[in-house]
Amino acid sequence: MKDFTYHRANSLDEAVTLLESTPNAKLLAGGTNLLDLMKLQIETPQHLIDINHIGLDKVETLPSGGLAIGAVVRNADLAAHPIVKRDYGVLTRALVSGASGQLRNRATTAGNLMQRTRCPYFYGTTKACNKRVPGSGCDAVNGFSTNLAVLGASASCIATHSSDMAVALRALDAMIVVIGQAGERRIALSDFHRLPGDTPHVETSLDSHEIIARVELPAPIGGRQVYRKVRERASYAFATVSVALIARVDAERVAIDRVAFGGLAAKPWRVEAAEGRGFGLPGEISEAAASVVFDGASPTDHNKYKLDLARQALHAALIDAREQRI
Amino acid sequence: MHEGSDIVTIEGLALSQGLHPMQAAFIEHDGFQCGYCTPGQILSAVCVLDELSAGFPSAATADLNAAPEGSAAELRERMSGNICRCAAYPNIIAAIVDVKGSET
Repeated sequence: MKDFTYHRANSLDEAVTLLESTPNAKLLAGGTNLLDLMKLQIETPQHLIDINHIGLDKVETLPSGGLAIGAVVRNADLAAHPIVKRDYGVLTRALVSGASGQLRNRATTAGNLMQRTRCPYFYGTTKACNKRVPGSGCDAVNGFSTNLAVLGASASCIATHSSDMAVALRALDAMIVVIGQAGERRIALSDFHRLPGDTPHVETSLDSHEIIARVELPAPIGGRQVYRKVRERASYAFATVSVALIARVDAERVAIDRVAFGGLAAKPWRVEAAEGRGFGLPGEISEAAASVVFDGASPTDHNKYKLDLARQALHAALIDAREQRI
Repeated sequence: MHEGSDIVTIEGLALSQGLHPMQAAFIEHDGFQCGYCTPGQILSAVCVLDELSAGFPSAATADLNAAPEGSAAELRERMSGNICRCAAYPNIIAAIVDVKGSET
């Protein structure tokens, strides 16, 4: 690890000022991804600005009936929050499917959104990677791409975003509130993560001097909320494919209210074309799953299985929703 | 980052009158072989039971709005990430189930 200077910010204003005035600085929240990347010298900031002590650790209800989640609320605390468990079950389910208990106790809401890809070519410092070294090329495109992107990829990058939490937030229409010298700005989660295009190292629409202050959820929309994650082992593994589903279910019918997929792209992949349609129970669940079309998919020979697997995951999630007793 | 934080290690877990119940249960159930991972396994096991009592959900929790059951399947999920290359997992779970049973 290269030498760096540690700054502990004592207020949000101080953190914003420090970030603006300090070249080559990174924000430090849980550190569960950043510190690993620093040890590998994939990230080499000269300054770390610790934002754990500036009051961004609260979950508060909003006048709209929604919820404001502070940037450094721990993943474990957010998953266990009574309002989240009751009204945003898909978020709790997604959070507890990620990482391990120790990591969830430390990892934060904003850090989860800002985590870097787990593409092996990004970590393999002998390989070409446009995210790690812009302009150096991408060895993954023609390499071992079994767990890489099938949607929204480019010739420059086929990495996925590995968050589970973000997939649930996409289904819930979350809003990211960021703060910089110019004040506050709101970014819909759908616009927060960027597809790679020619600049895969630019991963979010956050400006370099902005800090995520909180994530806001709209008022609860009810429904049966399911998060189904498919992975290579039963626990402590990133998703091969995952699906966040909010469904309306009665005795005869199931309707897909919201559906978003993880593990397919550099951002959570919402499929709005599949939303709002009703299907007869139990026979038409497979039809409901088959109705999800991934327009513009560009899989490799190694990962084309993901498109079928995603529909199968939705099929299983619809059965989970039908059987969920709430 | 952690200036001023309290940290409990395996040495600090033992009570003045003897082993912590989780340490005793690991011995009773032979919850280790080489012992390399054991301090971490025991500390995680103690915290897993604390988190269970505090109502933290896990990926194996069936009903998010009821107290988590703490079944063996759920204990395994909560302990995941603690790797034991000797594969003492069944005995580790038996030790935790034992301590959990004596707490309630």
